[in-house]
Amino acid sequence: MQNAKDTFYITLRNRLTTVNPDRTMSLRAVMRPGILVEEAETPVAELPLDVFVLRWTKLAVDTQLPLILMQMTCEIHYVTVGTQGNAGLDRGRALEAMDDELLQLLCPASAIKMNYTQTPAAQMGTSIFWSQAILAPATTVRERIGRVATVNVFAFQEQGEQ
Amino acid sequence: MSWDTSTQNFDDHALRMANALLRANGGTTASLQMPPAAGDTTDAGQLGLNAPNFQSLPLSPAVFRRLRPTMSEGQPAKYELLISGVAVQATVSELQLSSADALFSMAAGVAVGGKLFLIEAVSVSESLGAVFMYRLLLRESTSEWQMQQGQ
Repeated sequence: MQNAKDTFYITLRNRLTTVNPDRTMSLRAVMRPGILVEEAETPVAELPLDVFVLRWTKLAVDTQLPLILMQMTCEIHYVTVGTQGNAGLDRGRALEAMDDELLQLLCPASAIKMNYTQTPAAQMGTSIFWSQAILAPATTVRERIGRVATVNVFAFQEQGEQ
Repeated sequence: MSWDTSTQNFDDHALRMANALLRANGGTTASLQMPPAAGDTTDAGQLGLNAPNFQSLPLSPAVFRRLRPTMSEGQPAKYELLISGVAVQATVSELQLSSADALFSMAAGVAVGGKLFLIEAVSVSESLGAVFMYRLLLRESTSEWQMQQGQ
């Protein structure tokens, strides 16, 4: 299960470097693509701006198959205030740009599962795949506008995998 | 439209007074939990596999106090940390950061008295345009980890 979550994040992060190489952030003294796993970073009072934040929520298991099929729900949160040059009046456009980027990141909707606990990462025997994103209505909190996209990620539990 | 054109000669009396008052009112040491200067660029570092190796960065004098005496069920208590502007400015210079905001935004939390707190907001008190004290609104961490106090 953890390998599937790790693979999903690394896949989206690597795709982001080609979809929009300018979407970067500085986190823990490292400049990196603007996407992070919430549970793998320090807790913060507010979501960072102009960054995709992956939050893992539901988990379902189907044991009626030769291999156990795990279904994990990933909420992708993102908020923006637009740009300073436009005094934030472009925040709707900035959100739309993030919507578009996210849809590109999620396509194609599969990736070979990797084990990142090893260095270098080891390729596993199955793939992970995911559903189309369900985009929730945009929410506005003061000058921030944001959205949550929900994706169901599926992965087979391989032998010996935790 | 008009603006204040009067001459305002800055001197550091407010800085020194804040320092003295913070020291006199139970001055303690607060330790910012800072990431190492050379960050972890590996995949494992972004997946929660590698330890972040946060370093304690002591700031003093500081005054730490609870914001409200009553506590609500399920709500972590909130605290206020007043830190001397002198200490913060010295640290900002030492780490070659652009501002105190950058310093506090990099911090993963603050340890006071062996307990970890998360920074919710930062505000400042100024005199003649110079910051003499920083006020951090803190939320008690629910992790209950015992933190090492910075030297």
